[in-house]
Amino acid sequence: KPKLYRSVIEDVINDVREVFLDEGVDEQVLMELKTLWENKLMQSKAVDGFHSEEQQLLLQVQQQQQQQQQQQQHHHHHHHTQPQPQQTVQQQSQPQQVLIPASQQAPQQQVIVPDSKLIPHMNASGMSAAATAATLALPAGVTPVQQILTNSGQILQVVRTANGAQYIIQPQQPVVLQQQVIPQMQPGGVQAPVIQQVLAPIPGGLSQQTGVIIQPQQILFTGNKTQVIPTTVAAPTTAQAQIPAAGQQQPQQQQAQPQAPLVLQVDGAGDTSSEEEEDEEEDYDDDEEEDKEKDGGEDGQVEEEPLNSEDDVSDEEGQELFDTENVVVCQYDKIHRSKNKWKFHLKDGIMNLNGRDYVFSKAIGDAEW
Amino acid sequence: MAYQLYRNTTLGNSLQESLDELIQSQQITPQLALQVLLQFDKAINLALAQRVRNRVNFRGSLNTYRFCDNVWTFVLNDVEFREVTELVKVDKVKIVACDGKNTGSNTAE
Repeated sequence: KPKLYRSVIEDVINDVREVFLDEGVDEQVLMELKTLWENKLMQSKAVDGFHSEEQQLLLQVQQQQQQQQQQQQHHHHHHHTQPQPQQTVQQQSQPQQVLIPASQQAPQQQVIVPDSKLIPHMNASGMSAAATAATLALPAGVTPVQQILTNSGQILQVVRTANGAQYIIQPQQPVVLQQQVIPQMQPGGVQAPVIQQVLAPIPGGLSQQTGVIIQPQQILFTGNKTQVIPTTVAAPTTAQAQIPAAGQQQPQQQQAQPQAPLVLQVDGAGDTSSEEEEDEEEDYDDDEEEDKEKDGGEDGQVEEEPLNSEDDVSDEEGQELFDTENVVVCQYDKIHRSKNKWKFHLKDGIMNLNGRDYVFSKAIGDAEW
Repeated sequence: MAYQLYRNTTLGNSLQESLDELIQSQQITPQLALQVLLQFDKAINLALAQRVRNRVNFRGSLNTYRFCDNVWTFVLNDVEFREVTELVKVDKVKIVACDGKNTGSNTAE
């Protein structure tokens, strides 16, 4: 596949050379085009081993440097035994960023959300839907779940991604977060996944950091000194391996930092809200009974309250969260349908799935509508 | 003219971005950029038809379908793509397919 792309690039560059010359454009510009093109391809990581090893090494070096910086700042405070990817403030000019965990070995990655795909339902704990929507830009598949009010009055938005992991988005204003360990947490028990609050370092390389891991169910803030939080939030991988380690660290942190009274503990979206939903649904049923009868009760699902409903259309298959929209661009030989059973006969396609590129000369598929 | 279908791919987008940068810095004209893209269309169509020889199967549930101007657009959920070598699962995929008949003959050589 890298060879395929290579050959296409070569063909195109060679074919347009003449056009360039006709227009009086220097060959050097042509070379620049080629370099730009190849570099972008390499950066997209959609193709493996596309370009020279040299440039790949360069990328790795950059990533390592970032890790080193974070680790230096790290040792001041929390003695995290596990290598949590940390977030350094790199570009403050960018809007809110949602950090999404990369593979275990990779450092942090940023997901930059330029446009705003807003999900209208919000938790009514202070901010109106419009206000929250205005301040947050969420990628597709990420839904706001809860809002957490910290000691300082900062509202943190907890969002849930397609695979169930939850993250905290911190808004842009610098915030002083004072938190402490919540007494209820269970260090040994992995049943209640634990969150460690990590504050990204202040630009200029000051003081310590903490990171945010949010596991479903429970959100735990670990207290430490007041910090100014920049725009980005570190969310290390949700790998299971980290949970026990995180659990073990909790007691250490407890002893290390006795703190002022705690912050709101927020449970996962599952339990409490469902109880509420049931109550409300009963009311709904009475009111809308007639309508439902008319529909013939097609809708097996009872209406959920707007909050948290339709969190996710798709199944949670434990996939890594990617920002890419999976796209297949191809040609069709034949599209067939029988009742609601569709058959696809496709050819000459390029696919981008989970961030990676694939090609096919033929693709045959089945789907039910 | 060859389908411009493949411009919205990693390969095509990176080319368009590169061309845009060169236009921004005024090293090439938009007209030239367009020529490059047209050439890309030909090259990629040809490469796919000739240099790729593998098969993929997939299965999922169809969420939406659209047929307009002889272009099919599907959105599928919970899809598994299977090649001999590997299996890829996605929870949502969009498929855009142009009419595959008589494409080869359209490219002007």
